[in-house]
Amino acid sequence: MLRKLQRAVAALAVVCLLGSAAWANNPIIPGKPQDQPIALVGGTVHPVDGPAIAGGVVLFDKGKIVAVGKDVQIPADAERVDVSGKHVFPGLIDPYTNIGLEEVGAAAATIDTQEVGDANPSAKAIVAVNAESTVIPVTRANGVLSALTAPSGGTIAGLSAVINMDGWTWEDMAVEQVAGMHVSWPRSGGGGGRGRGRRGGGGGGNSGEAVQRIRETFATARAYMKAREAGGDQPFDSKWEGMIPVLQGNLPVFISANSESEISNAVAFADQENIKCVIVGGREADKCTELLKRNDVPVILSGVQRLPNGQDSPYDEAFTLPKRLQDAGVKYAISSAEGAANVRNLPYHAATAAAYGLSQEDAVKSITLNAAEILGVGDRLGSLTANKDATLVITDGDILEVTTQVEMAFIRGAMVDLQSKHTLLYDKYLEKYRRLGVLNEPEQQ
Amino acid sequence: MIRSRLQRGVLPALAICVALTVAAQAQDQTTPPEGLRENNPAAHALINARIVTGPGQLIESGTVVIRDGLIKAVGADVQIPADARVWDLEGKTIYPGLIDAFSEVSPSEEATPAAETNYWNPNVRPDIQASSYYVSNSSTNSDYRSQGVTARMIAPSAGVVRGQSGVVTTGDDDLAKAILNDSVALHAQLTPNRGGGGFGGGRGGGQRTYPSSPMGAMTLVRQAFYDAKWYAQVWEAYNAGQEGVSRPERTEVLEAMQPYLNGSMVVFDAPSYLYALRADQVAREFGLNAAILSEGGDEYRRLDAMKELGRLFIVSVNFPDAPDVSTPEKAAGVTVERMMHWDTAPENPGRLASAGIPIALSTNGLSDVGDFLDNVRKAVARGLDADQALAAMTTVPAEAFGMSDRLGNVAAGMSANLVVTSGDLFDNDTDVLETWVDGTRYEVESTPAVKATGEWEIAFNAPGGESQSLKLVVSENGSRTSAKLDRGETSVNLRNVSLSESVFTATFTGEDFGYDGVVLMSATLDMAPDGDEKPAMLGTFVWADGHRSSLTAEQIATSETTPASLEAAPQDPPQGRRGRGRRGNRGQNAEGANDSNSNLPAMYPVNYPYGAFGRSEQPQPPAAVMFTNATVWTCGPEGILENASVLVENGRISAVGKDLQAPEGCVTIDCTGKHISPGIIDCHSHSATDGGVNEGSQSITAEVRIGDFINCDDVNIYRQLAGGVTAANVLHGSANTIGGQNQVIKMRWGMLPEEMKFSQAPEGVKFALGENVTRKRSQDSTRYPRSRMGVEQLVRDAFTAAKAYRKRWEEWNANQQGTPPRVDLELKALAEIVFGERLIHGHSYRQDDILALMRTCEDYGVTIATFQHILEGYKVAETMAEHGVGGSSFSDWWAYKWEAYDAIPHNGAIMHNVGVVVSFNSDSAELARRLNTEAAKAVKYGGVPEAEALKFVTLNPAIQLGVGDYVGSLEPGKHADLVVWNHSPLSSYAVAQQTWIDGRKYFDREDDLAKREQVREMHAALVQRILSSGATMGGNNAAGPNPDTIWETDDYSCQHAHADGDYFGIMGHLDDVFDLHGHEDHDHADHNHDH
Repeated sequence: MLRKLQRAVAALAVVCLLGSAAWANNPIIPGKPQDQPIALVGGTVHPVDGPAIAGGVVLFDKGKIVAVGKDVQIPADAERVDVSGKHVFPGLIDPYTNIGLEEVGAAAATIDTQEVGDANPSAKAIVAVNAESTVIPVTRANGVLSALTAPSGGTIAGLSAVINMDGWTWEDMAVEQVAGMHVSWPRSGGGGGRGRGRRGGGGGGNSGEAVQRIRETFATARAYMKAREAGGDQPFDSKWEGMIPVLQGNLPVFISANSESEISNAVAFADQENIKCVIVGGREADKCTELLKRNDVPVILSGVQRLPNGQDSPYDEAFTLPKRLQDAGVKYAISSAEGAANVRNLPYHAATAAAYGLSQEDAVKSITLNAAEILGVGDRLGSLTANKDATLVITDGDILEVTTQVEMAFIRGAMVDLQSKHTLLYDKYLEKYRRLGVLNEPEQQ
Repeated sequence: MIRSRLQRGVLPALAICVALTVAAQAQDQTTPPEGLRENNPAAHALINARIVTGPGQLIESGTVVIRDGLIKAVGADVQIPADARVWDLEGKTIYPGLIDAFSEVSPSEEATPAAETNYWNPNVRPDIQASSYYVSNSSTNSDYRSQGVTARMIAPSAGVVRGQSGVVTTGDDDLAKAILNDSVALHAQLTPNRGGGGFGGGRGGGQRTYPSSPMGAMTLVRQAFYDAKWYAQVWEAYNAGQEGVSRPERTEVLEAMQPYLNGSMVVFDAPSYLYALRADQVAREFGLNAAILSEGGDEYRRLDAMKELGRLFIVSVNFPDAPDVSTPEKAAGVTVERMMHWDTAPENPGRLASAGIPIALSTNGLSDVGDFLDNVRKAVARGLDADQALAAMTTVPAEAFGMSDRLGNVAAGMSANLVVTSGDLFDNDTDVLETWVDGTRYEVESTPAVKATGEWEIAFNAPGGESQSLKLVVSENGSRTSAKLDRGETSVNLRNVSLSESVFTATFTGEDFGYDGVVLMSATLDMAPDGDEKPAMLGTFVWADGHRSSLTAEQIATSETTPASLEAAPQDPPQGRRGRGRRGNRGQNAEGANDSNSNLPAMYPVNYPYGAFGRSEQPQPPAAVMFTNATVWTCGPEGILENASVLVENGRISAVGKDLQAPEGCVTIDCTGKHISPGIIDCHSHSATDGGVNEGSQSITAEVRIGDFINCDDVNIYRQLAGGVTAANVLHGSANTIGGQNQVIKMRWGMLPEEMKFSQAPEGVKFALGENVTRKRSQDSTRYPRSRMGVEQLVRDAFTAAKAYRKRWEEWNANQQGTPPRVDLELKALAEIVFGERLIHGHSYRQDDILALMRTCEDYGVTIATFQHILEGYKVAETMAEHGVGGSSFSDWWAYKWEAYDAIPHNGAIMHNVGVVVSFNSDSAELARRLNTEAAKAVKYGGVPEAEALKFVTLNPAIQLGVGDYVGSLEPGKHADLVVWNHSPLSSYAVAQQTWIDGRKYFDREDDLAKREQVREMHAALVQRILSSGATMGGNNAAGPNPDTIWETDDYSCQHAHADGDYFGIMGHLDDVFDLHGHEDHDHADHNHDH
C-alpha cells in the first residue's frame, strides 16, 4: 500500500506516463479495502465543518476517519503520505443525478431511468445501477465520489439511492439503498421560464388535475396502510407498500418543483400530508424562502450554470441564486443537473456560485456537507470529521478551479483508481502520435 | 368558371334582398334574367350632407348625385336630377368608401385550385388568383360594410409564393360584379406554408415539404424569381430562333411570375420588422416593386430603417391584448418588452405616417372585422393624423392597386362607394349609418322595431330561489342605448347593452346585488300588450354558474318620465356601432382595444433593441481609450504581459505594452488587479437567429442562409456579451449532409442585423456527418442517406454536379451560345464550396466520418475549414494537420449519443499538440457565456499552457473563421474587441467586467447592476398601467411579434442534454427526447441541443 501511494504521489507530475504504463496491463479495478491506517500529512485540510487547516493531518483507518487536525497522534503502523502543497477535501457529492442508470443519452438500450406508468413508488434505482458504467470512473476522477441517483418520469418516479463511485456491485456502492421517493410536481403556469409561456400559459386546469392525482395517490396509499395495519384481508400491493415509509415519515419525498407556485404548493402539500420533503430544482426558491424555512424544507438546486428564468431576468440570475438562498438562511445543495456524463463538472457549478457572490467555503459546502445532510447521510459523508467515512480527495489546488488536478481519492479508505475510459483512450492515442513522431509533448509535463 | 361563380353568388344575393332598401340597377348584362326583370331606380341624390370628398377635402353642405353605380356629380351647388331618388342627409357626413388594403381568403373545399403544377415546388403558386375561388358571403360583406369598408383586397392564403390578390366590393352583387380586379399584387412570405389550400405540406403537416424553415422559404422565393428570369431568357432565345436552342417547356408558374419582374406590385408578409428588412433585400435583388404587409406592428422600433426602405407598408390595426398580469406570479412572468409593446403598438400607424412612410390600413389579423374602425380610431387617438388615416383607407390603397380612377374619392366618375356617418369618422361616438357600394345603398343596422326606453320593474328568482326584484332604467342617447339596474341605494350600470329587433340583451356585474360574477340578461320586449296590461319583458337571467332564472319585467315609466340621473351615470366605454345586434359574444378583445384609459401615450420611448436590455443609443466610442495596469493576455507573440496597458484608438488597438503614453484627450481606465483578454469568439453558435436553425427537409440545402435571419434582438447576445463574447459563428443545424450557409457576427447589441455581420468574414457553409444526417433515431426515414456510406456518396455527387454547373456558366459567359443556364442557388453555393470560395464547417464525431470527408474533399482539391464537434479528432489528428483543417470542439461533452461515446476531454490538447488549430465552442446559448473556463479545460486535460489554452476561444477560432487578421488577439491594428476580467480569464472566479467591440463598450457590469432597478420599475409601472386600464388580459392576441418564439433557436437534430433556460432539472430533459420528426412541434418547452 505504501509503495503504491508513494508511487502515486511521485507520479503526479507524470500522470500520463503512469497511465500509459497502466493502460496495457491494468484494467480499472475497484479500490482495495483499507488494511492499515493512513495519515495524510502536510497538506491544507478543508474539513468543511470547520475552517481550513494549513499543514494539517487527516488520519483514517478501516475506512473511517480517525482524526483531523494539526496535532494528530499518528500511530506507528500508519502509512504517512506527504501531501505538502496539496489540498484535502471531503469527496464531492452530487445530490441529484441519474449516474449508473444512464450510459449514453440517446441510446435507449443504455438507459434505465424510467418505469412504465405514472406512479412507481416502489421502483428502486439502486438495483439498476450499472457498476461497470464508464461514467463512474470519469466522474470520480474529478473528485465527485458520491451521488444521489434517482429515477425520473411520471408523477412518482420511484426511489433513489445514495451511492459511492466505486465498487464491484451496486451493493458495494450503496451508501443508502433507498434515500427518498421522487415526485414531480405538475408544472404551473406563469413564473419564470420562457418555455412555459409557449405552452400556452401552462394550462392551470391540467396542473390542478395532476395535483389532485397526487393527493389521491397519497390518500389511497394511506387507506392501504391502514387496511394492512388492521390485519384484514387487504391483499399485498407493491406500489402502496413502497409508500409506507414515506407516510410514516421515515423516508423523505424529493419533489421536483421550480416556479414559485409549484414550490409553495409542494411545500404546503408536504405539510398537509405530514411528510418529509426536499425540493429539487428550486429555480424560484428565493421567492419562497420564508415558507421553506418555516417548514424546514431544504432545496437541491438543479444546476447553477444555466440560463436565467425569463427574458428580462438578470443574466446572472441563476448564478446568484445560491448566494441569495444562503443569505436568506435556506438550506440548499447544488447538483449538476446535466445528465450522468457531466456529473464530473459539479464543482464548477458551485464555482460559478462563488464567482457571483458565495464564499468559496460555502460553495464547497453546497456540494459536500449540505448535500450529505439533505440526503440523510450526513453522519457518514460530507466533511472531514472523525467517525465519518474516509471518502476524500487530494488536489493540487482549489477544487473549484477548473485547472486544479485531482491527484488521489479514497472512498471508505480505499484508494480509488483515477484512470477512466478517457485516460485510457488518451494514453492510447498519445502512443499513436509518439510512434508517428508528430507529438509536441506538453511542456508542463 | 364563370358559371360556377354565378352559382356561388346566387345564394348570398337572394338572401340579402331582404336587407336591401334599393336593389341593383338594370344594366346590360350577359346573363339572361330569370323570371321578371328587375329595374329599380338607378339615380340617387344625397342632399344636405357634409361631404368629405377625400383626405383633407370638405364640402360643408352639398349633394352627391349617383347614376348607374357611378358618381355623376358632387358639389355644394349641384342640380338634382328629376328622376333621382332623394335622400336627405342633413346632419350626416359622407366619406369615400373605405378600402381594406389586405385580407386573406382560403379556397373552400369545392373551389380548391388545381393542386399540381409542373414547377418543382408546390409552394410556388403565382398562377393562383384569389378571385378565382373567392366566394361572396353576405354576412362577411355586412361585417365589412358596418366598418365603412366598400372594397377590400383579397389575397391567397396558402403556399410561400402564394399567388395574386384581387379587389372585391363588399356589396352583395353576384361575383361577376363584385370582383373589381383579378390581379392587384403577387403575395409572398418568407416563412413556410402556413397550411390551407391543400397543397404543399407546411410545418404541422404530415410531410415535411421544402421549405420547412423561414431560411428555406426566403431562398425558395429567390429561386423562383431566378427561375422566372431564366424562363423569360430561354423563351426569348427560342423565339428569336437562336441556333441550338430547343423548345423550352412551358411552365405556367414561371409565366405568371413575369409581370412582377417588370414592376407589378409584390406584397411581402412581414411578421416583424426584421422581415421587412429581409423582404426589402429580396426586392432589391430582383428590382421588385415591393410593398410590406406589416403583421407584427412593431415597425416603430426601427423607424429610420423602415423609412429607408421607401416602400408602402400595409399596416394592421390588430393591436395586442394586454398580457395577463393579474397575479404576482403571472406579472413576474411577463417581460417588459411585451408590456411596452402592448403600450406602444397602437402608435405604430401614427409613428410610421409621421415619419413620412406611406401606409395603407388593413383588417389583417383582426379576429373580428367589426373591430376595424374602433382600432383605427384608437390609432388616431394615439397619434395618427386623421387625414392620413383616411388616406390610408382610401386614396393610398386605391393608388397602390392602380384603381385610383375608380376608388378612393367622392368625385364624378368614381364608383359610387360611400360611407354615411353620424359625424366625424374618427370620433368614438360616430356611427356608420349606411354604406353605398356601386350605387347600392346598404343600411348598417336596421332600426329596432321597438324601443326599450323607460323604467322597468324586474321580478325573478335569485340563485338561492328567493323571489327578488330589480329596477331597470333604459335610456337612449343618440343612437346609443344605455341602461342601469337599481335596488335601494345600489345602482349598477349594464354593459354590452343591445337591442336587436325586439330582444334586449345586456350583462352586469352581480357583486353589488349579492350575485357571483357577471350575469347575462336577455329579454324579449312585449310592447303591444293586450287590454290594459303594461308593456313587458319576458326573459332570462343566466347566472355565473350557468344556471338560469326566468324574469318578467313590467314597464313602470316611459322614456318621457325617465329621471335625469341616468344621463349622468357613467356608461360603457364608447363602443361605436360595433356588434350591436350582430353577434352574441363580442370578444373581449374589443373592450381591451377600445378602453379609453389606454389612449394615453406610450410610457417609454423606443430603445434598441426594444425591451428590458435595450439602450437609447449606440455606445459612443471614445476617440482614444487606454486600459492601464492590467495583466494583458495578448494571445499574440507577446504572450501574457503583467502590469501593462492597451491603447485603443478609433476602434482599433494601436499599442499594447508597458509604459505606454496616453495621447491627449485619451480616456484612461485603470485596470489594477484586472485581466484583459481578447474578446471571446464562439466558433459554433445558434444564437441570434430566427429563421429556424435547420432547413432539414432535404439532404442538401446549401442555398439557405442563416445570414438572412439574424435576430439582432435575441437577448442571448446581451447575455453572451456579459460572458465576454464579442463574435460568434452562427451556424445552420446538422439535420442534413450539406446544410445552409453560416454567418459570422459581432455581438453589437442594439444594431440591426446587417450591422451585426462581421463584414470581413469569408462566407461558409455547414456540413454534417454521422447519426443526425442519416436519421438514426428515426424509425421510418426513407431519406437518402441512411448510412455513412451514403453520406460519402452524396457529397461526391453534389461536388460533381457543382463542377458541371460552374463549367456550364463559364462556357455560357464565354460565348453566350445556346440556351442560357439557369441560376440554381443550391448548385451555385456548392460550386463556391468546390472551388474553395466558401468555407466548410463540418459537424462530425467519428474518425471514419472525419477521414472520409477529408479524403472526399481532397479528391476535389477542397480543404475543409473546420470540423465542428470533432470529438474523435484525437484519433486522426495527424491527418487533420496534414489536410489543414481546424478542429472546433467541445471541451468535455461526451456520451450524449452513441457516436459521442468515445469523446474524451483531452481531445483538444491532443489535436493542438499534433499541430491542428483548435478552438472550443459552445453550441449553446448558456455555455457560450463561459467559454473562458471551457478553455481552462485544455489546461486541465492534457496540460496545454494557459496562454495557449486561452487562444482556444480567441485567436484560434478567429483563424478558423478566416478573421485572424482582424480579431482574436490584442495586437496593434486589430479590432478593439476585448474583455476586462476581475480574475484570470481561466479562473472559475472570473467575471467579465467590461466587454468592448470596435472600441465601443457594449457591456459594463456596473451599468448592468444599476440598470436592474430601472428594469424593475419599468416592469411594475407597465403592470399598473395594464391593471388600471381595465383592459382584458391574456387574450390570444397578447403575444407580440418576436418570431424567435415561433422558430427554433437551437439545433434540435440530436440530443445533447444541457441546462439552458428551458430546463427544469434532469427530469425535464430526460422526458423530452425527440427525433427529427419531433421538430415540427415548435412548442417544446424543453430542448435538447444538437451536438
